[in-house]
Amino acid sequence: MTDIALQTRGLGVKYGNFHALAEVDLQIRRNSVHSIIGPNGACKTTLFHALTGRVRASSGRIELDGRDITDTSDDDRVRLGIARSFQVTSLFPNLALRENLRLAAQGRTPWQALAPWRRAEANAEALAIADEVIERLALAPVSNRLAGELSHGQQRRLEVGMAMAARPRVILLDEPTSGMGIDDIEAMKQLIRDLGRDHTVLFIEHNMGIVMNISDMVTVMRLGRKLVEGPPAQVRDDPEVQRAYLGNMITGDIA
Amino acid sequence: MNPLDKPYAQLALAVLAVLVLPLFLKSGILATEILIFAMVVAACNLLLGYTGLLSFGQGIFFGIGTYAAGICLTRWQIPVPVVLASAAVLGAATATLVGWLSIRRQGVYFVMLTLAFSQLFYFVAYTFSGVTGGDNGLLGVPRPSVGGTALNAPWSYYTYVAVCFVAVFAILVMVTQSTFGRTLLAIRENEGRAAAIGFPTKLFKLEAFAISGAVTAFGGALHAMLIGVAPLSNIEYHTSELILIMTIIGGSSSLFGSVLGAGFYLLLADALSTVWPRWLLLLGLVLVTVALFLQRGLWGLVERGYDLVFRRERAPETPAEEH
Ligand SMILES: Nc1ncnc2c1ncn2[C@@H]1O[C@H](COP(=O)(O)OP(=O)(O)OP(=O)(O)O)[C@@H](O)[C@H]1O
Ligand SMILES: [Mg+2]
Repeated sequence: MTDIALQTRGLGVKYGNFHALAEVDLQIRRNSVHSIIGPNGACKTTLFHALTGRVRASSGRIELDGRDITDTSDDDRVRLGIARSFQVTSLFPNLALRENLRLAAQGRTPWQALAPWRRAEANAEALAIADEVIERLALAPVSNRLAGELSHGQQRRLEVGMAMAARPRVILLDEPTSGMGIDDIEAMKQLIRDLGRDHTVLFIEHNMGIVMNISDMVTVMRLGRKLVEGPPAQVRDDPEVQRAYLGNMITGDIA
Repeated sequence: MNPLDKPYAQLALAVLAVLVLPLFLKSGILATEILIFAMVVAACNLLLGYTGLLSFGQGIFFGIGTYAAGICLTRWQIPVPVVLASAAVLGAATATLVGWLSIRRQGVYFVMLTLAFSQLFYFVAYTFSGVTGGDNGLLGVPRPSVGGTALNAPWSYYTYVAVCFVAVFAILVMVTQSTFGRTLLAIRENEGRAAAIGFPTKLFKLEAFAISGAVTAFGGALHAMLIGVAPLSNIEYHTSELILIMTIIGGSSSLFGSVLGAGFYLLLADALSTVWPRWLLLLGLVLVTVALFLQRGLWGLVERGYDLVFRRERAPETPAEEH
């Protein structure tokens, strides 16, 4: 196997006649933490949609571990090892937190779930994964509450947990800290760094403190194209990046 | 969760309903009709309540089952259990086809498609009168026999249907409790997320359609044997509407709610029709009342009643579900 977990070549996405994403070449190294930054509307989320198969690529190709997955459906890609969290929290609000995670763990082997006589509890592995994720995210006290009744911070953590429960090789996190309080942000930063040990992490983030601290590599996007790419320190000092952000957004320091 | 929503409680209530109906009803025909519609409505609930699919196609499957029984029993002397099984298979196949084409669209367009299919199948049945008997339907559909005697007495056929009903209801409870049923709930809640965590959601919806179609056609076949005719009206759009109305009256959050919905509608229709020839008007008023004040249907009422009697502390209000 190569050192590259996920790779795109000339990736483009069109929404109708609008060329959103264009000519994106990405190489995500295995077990690295790779962040995507860029101003609002830079097509960061669109890039994630294309990588996970929610929207179809209109040009270019996507490879996972050297295998072409450009035309693979979104649910098939989960089985191949890609999972994601959403920028706008997307849970099953009327189901319990634990059930949300059990489903996410079951999603890896969905054919089992087609048997209408099989009990959900029969899949002990899915339950164990759900409990493990609950433990890791410190959500045990609320694990039986409905997802829709959780606080915003808890919902954001669960959102990330949904991606973790799929046991992916590549995990895509879309602004995992958005709307979180200070303490939660710090915990999330630790978590993402930890995830980088046994997953390949690709994450979109506006909080430069986190980006500059825990990324191995940073890709800056603007207007649907890749602007600059490199290690955090190099990206931070790049004049083009300073201009793209009008100099006012990169504030975090490298610890 | 309300204890009444537990699977064994639901099943116990279904058995109770079977035992109680003969005590209160004089007409065995009416009681049998209630059980037949109860299973058909529960099957509709699998789509509406559990999967979030408002299907106007249930009449198609009901009619298919009716004709399957009518044709098999009047032309060839096929044993009734085989007829019932074939009706279920045919219903599942038709539902898979209708579902496969309809779930390509969502929301209003999905509903429109099922409505269109409902019209289409009606006209097919109307046109091919050589097979279906057209306006007259197929007359002389016999009742099943057990141990050599035909179940011609209303209450003996009731017993036959009651056994079928309890079996079907138990299967539906199992389906909704299974990992499959719980995945359907997830798809209803948030289809995009269900797909993002790896579920091929269309396949799950199709299977829900197939199961629903099988049960509905099974009920349609029982119905033909009940009234001795396979009428054109069973495949009419109106039947789809009727099944949906019963589902909504009963409440879509529980399978036994569907039994209540079917019972309530048929009993009310029976009572009102003896009072006033324009009884449909009164029925309309009742439906308006349910839609305005009982958003969770009769089952919601039962749950609230249970909480009042058995629980001191007030359970937190569950938000009204949108349909
Ligand atoms: N479904 C869609 N249909 C049409 N246009 C869309 C759609 N989704 C996004 N866009 C457009 O594509 C562009 C990029 O949107 P995208 O959400 O990918 O940006 P982003 O970089 O994630 O921004 P943010 O930082 O605000 O999350 C925007 O101009 C947006 O209006
Ligand atoms: Mg975004």
